[in-house]
Amino acid sequence: MDFMMISLLIYLLGTLTIVFPKRIELFAHYLGMICAALGSGLVAYSALNYLLYPADSWLIETGWGSYSLQADAWSSAFLLLTGVAGVMISLYAIDYGKGYLGNRIRLLSGLWNLFIMSIVLVLISGDAFTFIVAWEIMALVSFLLVNHEAGKKKTVSAAYQYMVMTHIGTAAIMVAFYLVGSSSMSFSFGDMANNSLTGFMKDVAFVCAFLGFALKSGLMPLHIWLPNAHPAAPSHVSALMSGVMLKVALYGFGRFAFQFIGMDVFWYGLVVMVVGLISAFLGVLYATMEVDMKRILAYSSVENMGIIFAAFGCGMVLYAMQQPIISIVAFTAALVHAVSHSLMKGLLFMSSGAVMHATGSKNIELMGGLAKKMPYTALFTLVGSMALSSLPFTSGLVGEWLTLQSFITLAQQAANPELRLLVIFAFIMLGLTGATALGCFVRLYGTAFLGRARSNIVDKAHEMPVFMLLGMGLEAVLIVAIGVMPDILVNMMQQVFSGIAAVSMGTPLGIIWGGSGHYAIYSPGIIFIMFALIGVFMVAALYRSSTFVKQDVTWNCGTVPTSRQQYSATGFSKPLRRAFEGILSPQRTRTYLRKEHAYFGRKLRYDLSIPDLFNDKLYKPMQQWMINSSSAFHKIQEGSVSLYIGYTMVAMIVVLIWGVLL
Amino acid sequence: MEYLVVFLVLVVFLQTRITNLKRAVICLGSQSFIIAIACFVLGLSTSSGIHAVLPGILTLIVKVLFIPGAVYRLVGKLKNEREILSASNVNYSTMAAALFLVLGYVLVERLLPGSAGRDIIAASILMIMTGLSLMVLRKRAIIQIVGLITLENGIYLLGLLMTEGLPLVVELGVFLDVLIAVVVLVILTSRMRLSFMTTDTSVMKKLKG
Repeated sequence: MDFMMISLLIYLLGTLTIVFPKRIELFAHYLGMICAALGSGLVAYSALNYLLYPADSWLIETGWGSYSLQADAWSSAFLLLTGVAGVMISLYAIDYGKGYLGNRIRLLSGLWNLFIMSIVLVLISGDAFTFIVAWEIMALVSFLLVNHEAGKKKTVSAAYQYMVMTHIGTAAIMVAFYLVGSSSMSFSFGDMANNSLTGFMKDVAFVCAFLGFALKSGLMPLHIWLPNAHPAAPSHVSALMSGVMLKVALYGFGRFAFQFIGMDVFWYGLVVMVVGLISAFLGVLYATMEVDMKRILAYSSVENMGIIFAAFGCGMVLYAMQQPIISIVAFTAALVHAVSHSLMKGLLFMSSGAVMHATGSKNIELMGGLAKKMPYTALFTLVGSMALSSLPFTSGLVGEWLTLQSFITLAQQAANPELRLLVIFAFIMLGLTGATALGCFVRLYGTAFLGRARSNIVDKAHEMPVFMLLGMGLEAVLIVAIGVMPDILVNMMQQVFSGIAAVSMGTPLGIIWGGSGHYAIYSPGIIFIMFALIGVFMVAALYRSSTFVKQDVTWNCGTVPTSRQQYSATGFSKPLRRAFEGILSPQRTRTYLRKEHAYFGRKLRYDLSIPDLFNDKLYKPMQQWMINSSSAFHKIQEGSVSLYIGYTMVAMIVVLIWGVLL
Repeated sequence: MEYLVVFLVLVVFLQTRITNLKRAVICLGSQSFIIAIACFVLGLSTSSGIHAVLPGILTLIVKVLFIPGAVYRLVGKLKNEREILSASNVNYSTMAAALFLVLGYVLVERLLPGSAGRDIIAASILMIMTGLSLMVLRKRAIIQIVGLITLENGIYLLGLLMTEGLPLVVELGVFLDVLIAVVVLVILTSRMRLSFMTTDTSVMKKLKG
């Protein structure tokens, strides 16, 4: 409790760097980032302490007037995630933020502290009012941070789009809170648990809550702000937004699901699950099509939030089927994946910032061979990419494995064939998602870091300063540590649901889950031994045969290979584009710049764009409809005074006639 | 009293047909004059002392002399100004006034059956609605002012009949209200004439962004 208050004070101190004089703005930046790192460290420490040794009933419980702070195990899991990400990204930002020297750097460091503080406040708020206030601060501060490079037109439009979308979400959340709060006659979370919502109003509250939190976590089709806001924001801001802010939405939704609305209605879970699965697949599909590094990562966030929500929905379905003990695997999966996604997405956004810092571009088509110029960054990016493609020995696999286990469990528990069919659909979606994610990150890493340089912007690339490497390195180490020893994290996250008694899944050997009827085990040790054995056999087989190694230029039909003969990022994703042409509907245009002859002496320009399906099919028609209906209203309210007096007159006549008729 | 109502209805109907601004103002003055006489008649029959004559005197000063006088002076400055309307528009407003009269009588029959001031109530409803319709249908600022005063007269007549003499403060307030409104309107209209060379309110649409 004390540590939490101290950390809030430290964040406040960091926020004060906004008003520091301009002469010492570098000092202000350092102080702000150190405050953020220190405060986040304290948050992480106290959350970890609470999760490992749950002595008190609350991590923090205090209040002033109608404001109250309260944190239980569910909050603590997210506080831990926030604290860890906050420390790493603030360390990284010590060096990265220096790029904004002279460009309102004090504002950046002050708002950075305020942003983390508002996230922490959302997580520890004990009543709906505090929650909404903190949530709005978080939305506004993140809007200002996204809008930091306000000189660029694209940034401003992305920031405003984010602002509009996030306020729609807030409105939905407020409706949900209002419904629950008014039926329980109180806005404190403890009292709101005993609400008397039933039937239709409960459905409305659920739909509003899901809408609001899904919007904030970027689930399809409410994701459109996400791929625009992330590239516009400074990299450490996008790292925190993607790594932490999206999870805060899961926190809020979990509060609703566990505490306020309950999970006893079957279709609630189904809706969450299906929306999550669709987001997961479509998110990664769009990610594979992009060439902007940060847009790839943003769409990948949509994918991972989809997986997290799918697991959560699966848990809700299992809970609604009166299987609370078994449902724990799904909830744990959601939490574990949330933690690991916050690590790996934070890492990759940081490394995309490093790449931008080195080359000045986000377009991976212009890169190539960066691994030689910046080996450490390349190594950390490799770890992050492996984790996002859920390869063994990384934290990404732990969460996805648990998600798969929860779906297997659901399949085993499913009573009717329709649900089983749905689970099969879920498997297909998850399988497609996993495979496409692997392709996506092979493409990202391969195009940017391997091969030859595609343009001269790579020439001036250089390794990053020490704090940036430190931030990325610590995240990479954590990812691998969780991947190798998943039991600590899994047990800790399982502890969060201490209300549900179950055997703890994590063992020193790996994770064991027996809820699906069979025993499933994920053990990094066993995988390592298998890999080692295969390696040993291969070495042994090759050792005896007379092998020779000769390094030479790649044979290329007698010509010297150039960088243009490499796979381009666009080319790499062509098969997928063909396979999912119906969904993606790519727009290709070919322009002849010069055409002297049908076969030679011609110059071509090829433009490819993938319009966002929901943007074109849902948002644009909606926008059009709104404009049209407004112009219809405009006819009624035209600004002509006689018309307005006429309305008064008509109203009067109607009232008089009404009086006559009655 | 019945004769007064007949004259009042006649004047109001005339009002809907007049397009010349000067005549409209004179018509308004005579309308207010009838109201003033009605005030005297009602006041003398129901109460005594200063309260019996004061509303009538006030009406005479403000609505018969001052307001039409101010507007008339303004009209004198305007040149080539008349309400340009097709005959059908005038006919429509007269027909609307007729309908309002019918509506007024129906209303009185339904809401206040057997009321003594049946004709006066119907006439005041006619005046309220006709005033409104003048403000809506006509474009010249002067005619719109005339409409406003007609509306005001109707409300005043109705109030007078219903309450048989309002408290003095309320009455003074009502007159001050109308006075200020007309002063503002006259100033606005003359400014408008200076700026736009016309008092056609539809040109004010240009001011919108």
